[in-house]
Amino acid sequence: MIWEVFRQEKKGDYHTHCGNVHAPDREMAKQFAAIQHGRRKPTNSIWVVPKDEVGEIDTDDVPFGGTTDKAYRWTTAYNLQTEQAREVEESDSEQQEAEKQRGEA
Amino acid sequence: MTLDPNDLDEREALAALCKRLGDDEFVLAERYTEWQVRSPSLESDLALSNIAQDELGHARLWYDLLIDLGYEEPEIVYERDADEWHHSTLVEQPFAEGDWTDPIVRSYLYDVAEKLRLATLEESTHPKIADRVGKIQGEENYHLEHAQNWLERLVADDEGKERVQNAVDRLFPYALTLFEPVDPDVEDDIVDLGLRDATLAEMGEEWLSVVIPYLESLDLDVPESGVEGMDGYAVTDEMLPEHVGRDGSHTEAWSDLFEEFTHTYHDLGRDQSTKIMGRPE
Repeated sequence: MIWEVFRQEKKGDYHTHCGNVHAPDREMAKQFAAIQHGRRKPTNSIWVVPKDEVGEIDTDDVPFGGTTDKAYRWTTAYNLQTEQAREVEESDSEQQEAEKQRGEA
Repeated sequence: MTLDPNDLDEREALAALCKRLGDDEFVLAERYTEWQVRSPSLESDLALSNIAQDELGHARLWYDLLIDLGYEEPEIVYERDADEWHHSTLVEQPFAEGDWTDPIVRSYLYDVAEKLRLATLEESTHPKIADRVGKIQGEENYHLEHAQNWLERLVADDEGKERVQNAVDRLFPYALTLFEPVDPDVEDDIVDLGLRDATLAEMGEEWLSVVIPYLESLDLDVPESGVEGMDGYAVTDEMLPEHVGRDGSHTEAWSDLFEEFTHTYHDLGRDQSTKIMGRPE
């Protein structure tokens, strides 16, 4: 039986998926996960979840959002030669950050 | 108490205690690593390797106290004669080939003893011993839990139960040697000096009083089930195997294992051990 493992680094952080373990039941899954996913990295808590219990929906099932090009909303058309207002600079760095996250930068 | 560097009895007692502790951990870890890449699943492989690694680390903590006494690293491991090792014969036994119940039963029998003996060192008069116990105890809880989790699952079907029973029959007498003296006089000194606050006899009784009821609760026959008399449990001479290890007498398996882990050192003509890290704090 496969158990998906989620690791939380610090108290208050999200538990992030980090891999899985094979184990016959929850108790053993927790024990294996502690070694496999909690021994080398700072860890505050680990969740183990039976793989079958994870609900999944993918691109075949539903057209997800986040694909429309909304570059027209950005201030890229301005020529930022002179010193800009604080709001404009902030907006600019936010856009760069967003691009980075989308893997486009 | 601080150790008097000129008192030979104290030095001998401390050295004997550290060898008892360190040798058990070192040799057990050597055996456990034989399961690496051979365990029933990747997960169980990693768990046992992790335990082996812990035990090696604990051996290092105990051997390090021998360095305080003036020992050199090579003479503690690679250049020590095979009959000067004081581990219990439980830890040197070869595994029954391909039988996963063997390391699990062995680990259970050993880790209960280790838990009890660490408790007897918590208040040790030697400050470094007392300091190191806490670190070791944190890791030991996992070992015992691991062994018990496996045992409870292995006995759940007939074949597993039969294998566990065979492993118990085979290993139990050797486990009793964990409570044998390196030398009876030195063992008295260990307790009199307060290095450890229980006698071996007391520790043996306590171990039996934990292990026997637990194994019986799994519906297993324990070789010494009948030993509980009016005075409770006790390890007696009749229960012991021929070689007890603590006194330097070992089973044949030990010479093979010893040869194996010292082979490369001698083959390369080394006279020093490789240092990959500094001394523990």
